[in-house]
Amino acid sequence: MAASIAEQRARACRTLLTQVHATTAKEGITPSALHAIKLKLVALAAKTDLFPPGDFAMPLAQGRTHPLLVEDDDGHGLYLTINLPGKEAAPHDHGIWCVNAAISGRERHVFYRRTDDGTRPGSATVAKVGEVMVEPGNGMAMADHDIHSTEVVGQAPAIGLALYGYALTRFPSVAWFHPEFSAMRASPSRRQLAT
Amino acid sequence: MARTAKTYQVNITNLGQVITCAANETILHAAIVAGIDYPYACASGNCGSCISQLEAGRVTMLPRGDAAISPAQVKARQTLACRARPQGDVAITWLGRGRR
Repeated sequence: MAASIAEQRARACRTLLTQVHATTAKEGITPSALHAIKLKLVALAAKTDLFPPGDFAMPLAQGRTHPLLVEDDDGHGLYLTINLPGKEAAPHDHGIWCVNAAISGRERHVFYRRTDDGTRPGSATVAKVGEVMVEPGNGMAMADHDIHSTEVVGQAPAIGLALYGYALTRFPSVAWFHPEFSAMRASPSRRQLAT
Repeated sequence: MARTAKTYQVNITNLGQVITCAANETILHAAIVAGIDYPYACASGNCGSCISQLEAGRVTMLPRGDAAISPAQVKARQTLACRARPQGDVAITWLGRGRR
């Protein structure tokens, strides 16, 4: 009997994470490793038959995350994300690497570097260093402590795959940057919230 | 000539302080500009740090993530100050750092 779409998707996700572990075991979390992982995630996202919209509920508000494969302990987390037009995230450092690839729609990622010395609590300045449009056939990769903002562009939902070094429930504290006020605020680690 | 956005009075009940907020401005933004130490983190509808109780008045909400505030919370007149724009005069209490 032919495997269901859900079974095929689960198998494809397991295969991806096996490949990811093989890559990182060989060379660690390096820029080239993250690039290789991004290419694999883009290839998986291109298999749109594995991610039919009917299998994933739309957001109740404007942004929703569906777990696809979440490893135990401090393993990786692979998710399908749905963000509706207008959904955004201010510049932030979530402390752990991540790779994104689009299934459909467009999401702009802007990258920043911190320009202050980090000695004043609650204060920070950042400068834009680059920008990537995550759309079908394209993705983005960022290392631990890279800073990015996101914004859904256009009138269609941005649906994509997101692979994080840690599962979302094991995320460290997230630092949010607010250039208008030269401010930095942290949201607590989900690890602390879980204990 | 550009039209100036309408403004409303927002009572931050934790402090008993009334600030002015434009109709096209979020309550959090107006509070920060006014020098108020309103609790927040992402300021973009993702983390829920600025979760607040709407004591009076109405707001419209900008796009936000499902995890930041639930439909039940919205029904109970809670809101995210970073996503809330006033539709008239408003009274609001922040909950994220506890009520003062």
